Amino acid sequence: MSDNNKLNKRPDSEANAALNAGVAENGETVPVLHMEYGTAAEFGAIVERNIDERGEHASAQMPQWLEDKQPDRALSTRRSGRNRLKTFPGVAFISVLVILFLYLPMLMVVIFSFNGGRQALLWKGFSFSWYGTVFHDPAIISATLTSLEVAVIAMVLSTVIGVLFILAAGQMSRAGSALAGWLINASLIIPEVVLGVATMGFIRMIGLKPGMLPLILAHTTFCIPFVVMPLRARLQTIDTSCFEAAVDLGASPITTVRRVTLPLLAPAIVSGALMAFVISMDDFMISNFLTSAGTTTLPIYIFSLIRKGVNPSINVVATLLLLLAVIVTVISSVLTNRKDD
Amino acid sequence: MSEQSSTLDGQKPPIGEAQRGEVARPHRRRTLFSASGGIKPGMLSHWYAIPAIIVGLLFTLGPICVIVAFSFMSQPDVGGGVVYKFSTNAYKKLLFTTDFLGRTSFDPRYLKVFGTSLWQALVTTFICIVLSFFIALWMSLRKPSTQRLLVLLINIPFWTNLIVRTYAWMLILNENGPINGFLKFIGAGSKQLLYTSGASLIGLIFTFLPFAIMPMYSALSGFDFRLVEAAYDLGARKLTVMRRIILRAAKPGVTSAVALCFIPAFGSYVQPVLLGGGRVLMVGNLIASQFSEARNWPFGAALSTVILLITLLCGVAASIGGGKAARDAGMAV
Repeated sequence: MSDNNKLNKRPDSEANAALNAGVAENGETVPVLHMEYGTAAEFGAIVERNIDERGEHASAQMPQWLEDKQPDRALSTRRSGRNRLKTFPGVAFISVLVILFLYLPMLMVVIFSFNGGRQALLWKGFSFSWYGTVFHDPAIISATLTSLEVAVIAMVLSTVIGVLFILAAGQMSRAGSALAGWLINASLIIPEVVLGVATMGFIRMIGLKPGMLPLILAHTTFCIPFVVMPLRARLQTIDTSCFEAAVDLGASPITTVRRVTLPLLAPAIVSGALMAFVISMDDFMISNFLTSAGTTTLPIYIFSLIRKGVNPSINVVATLLLLLAVIVTVISSVLTNRKDD
Repeated sequence: MSEQSSTLDGQKPPIGEAQRGEVARPHRRRTLFSASGGIKPGMLSHWYAIPAIIVGLLFTLGPICVIVAFSFMSQPDVGGGVVYKFSTNAYKKLLFTTDFLGRTSFDPRYLKVFGTSLWQALVTTFICIVLSFFIALWMSLRKPSTQRLLVLLINIPFWTNLIVRTYAWMLILNENGPINGFLKFIGAGSKQLLYTSGASLIGLIFTFLPFAIMPMYSALSGFDFRLVEAAYDLGARKLTVMRRIILRAAKPGVTSAVALCFIPAFGSYVQPVLLGGGRVLMVGNLIASQFSEARNWPFGAALSTVILLITLLCGVAASIGGGKAARDAGMAV
């Protein structure tokens, strides 16, 4: 590893990779070994064996063509640009296919949301008519409002709990913070069906009825890991001397948190809150086991629409949800990639 | 133990005193919950972690305990729910069936459901990992600004509603969709594409691909590509570089991608229902139906417990193998 770095720093790395044949440090000529070899690796092996056998000044002779060879431009350390050695056949092709695979289906949805026909799947000309229908559909509006209500409350609760947790996690012992981390992240790993039925059983056991309250509690729980993730990443990049400076200048602990820590964490807090909002808006599986007739959320309503038979208004709702994902992802990407203030 | 708990309750130092840090750091014994030493400036005392821990205990650990408990209870005569009477019938039902005469015999029906789930999840995981390796390698060799844009492109599907993403494939695969349109155009006639196990598989791959790309990218983007040059300097060929340098660097990414794709794919529900129609029965569907139509809660709970055990095993294996990569990767932009 370190040897390789040393070689790379030299201007003509490849020519120097071999030992300068024949002349030792003190100017004496030492016996030179001439040998046939194929690759650089074999050459290296020969040099090594030679040194083992004859002591430090022994050497091997590189063939002239390799001595004359100019440093290869393709071996530069640039990560990008035309670099023959760092491209692998098929990689770019497959990557473009993957991106198309991810985006073409979504593009289909967007295009079909502007379909004028009465059938969801048959193209009958461009029109905004289904947007009008969706914005006046009372069932869709009420499902959207329910989803928004749950998502906003869950977002606020999970953000507050997540921020408090991440600020306190550093004060816990290693084992304690690892255990708490597992406990919080468990809802990420457990399959949603299982978490859904388990929460339903639990809610029933503690005597709650399906509806708004269980929805909000469950959503808050599975949103917390998404709040904590960007916060943890951001906290690692903050220079702790800011906090020490604040304390040195006489700020009380609470003031330090309020005026120094929280502003520094602000981009991560916003990005985490946005993620929590989207995750809550998206959830179908867990909500499905916790809703009652009056609290149908938007994903549950779309699912039932799709099962009833495809309806063009689904395309419109799907496009709007897609738009929400794009907006939120772009905002949170801008916030996390922003150069520090 | 009693000593520890007394420390936890009794010796909570006043926050202000601890905050002054180096000058007057009160001596505090370590407990499981709190670290030794004062509170770091700009942070909060460990007591503020309690809300998160309570929520985790109540709504993650609580439900898990309840579902495991339910799996050992008996089914009421009518309707859903459970009767608090110990029974292992739910687990017996996984493997055996009892006929009218009370004879029990081996019953592979539910094992088959597990087999279908396992097969679909394994194929999904494998394809996702292969594709994500290629795209992650490609991404990590771009300019930093291009890399940021590509990460954004991969993140958008991740944050898009699951139902919407699954529905998009219904648009493509249905009998009047573009693929069948093309098949008719070239004269091959239309084919049943939707409501097949292949459709369900495509839906799963489409859903979990971003889950695999992110950890894979995070493993490869931190990789020092000068090692590749060093390998070439030492005479390695392209295939050797790929096999011995780059694949090795991608290993932590593979481990966390396995964990992030396999477990959720194994318990998936939406894709088999919407894209597989009635033809694909996976464990997720079986569990959901036990709690709705079939009304056999203990059996559903037993199935859930089995899935939880599989999850736990995978989780432990992944955290031994490369859990750090999963955390570093996160799902964040």
